[in-house]
Amino acid sequence: MIDDFDKLSVTELRLRGMTSDKILAEQKRRGMSKEQINDAWFPKPPTYNRIGSRRFRRRLVLATYTSWFLLAAILLMTSMALPGSIISLEALPILVIANGVVLGVWFFRRTYISREVLSSDKGLDERLVQNRNQAFRQAFQIFTGLVLLAWPLSIAVMLAQPGHQGFVDAFVIYFAVAVLASTLPTVIWAWREPDPVDPN
Amino acid sequence: MLRAERDLSRQRFADALGVNYQTIGYLERGDYNPSLELAFRIAEYFGLPLEAVFSRQPFAPMSSQLYRKEDSA
Repeated sequence: MIDDFDKLSVTELRLRGMTSDKILAEQKRRGMSKEQINDAWFPKPPTYNRIGSRRFRRRLVLATYTSWFLLAAILLMTSMALPGSIISLEALPILVIANGVVLGVWFFRRTYISREVLSSDKGLDERLVQNRNQAFRQAFQIFTGLVLLAWPLSIAVMLAQPGHQGFVDAFVIYFAVAVLASTLPTVIWAWREPDPVDPN
Repeated sequence: MLRAERDLSRQRFADALGVNYQTIGYLERGDYNPSLELAFRIAEYFGLPLEAVFSRQPFAPMSSQLYRKEDSA
């Protein structure tokens, strides 16, 4: 009976009428670490193995990035064609939405290659940790090059173009850097991960 | 091969070893080389020496090994 009680989760203890402070005291009595207590109170949603075939993932990478850059190019060309018009400023919220869509596709999915899992080693075995680290290393190399390119470019467009057009162009560069910063490790991992195997 | 002999699913084997079942698949396909720790865990799970489970050279077919033994005996 005592063994069963020791296995009860936070929700089950609550159902038995225990208050939060008593549950916390019980967890400490069980010798749970701070991390274990935190996980028990705020359990993470499960991660899934459904990552799709490599062909599907690669197509998705190309589709999301190509769509984003096409949209940015169209907005830039439109704002250049109509200098001083309000369309330049309207481009910015559209890019915020576009960034949100790309993030939604790559950042918030509950697969083991998503950003949620990238934040810690939890739920990853040695192969996945290795692949995650490789993806981060490669993303860092690519991203460093892009930032070194984007930084002087954004200054140059601001200096070269008077009025708010320069700022709009610089913001587009900033959004491109932001979307890559937040998705590049996941996208690299998704690109490289082999086709999934059958669980049986 | 060893897993199939014991009628183990990748999922069950992976759960027993504490790894993702995809990792078991990649190990079987030769797409991933395990750490020494995982290699020992797998060998211990099957109750076999490490060299019976892993080899740097591809394993010879069982039939050829059996017939060679019979020839030498």
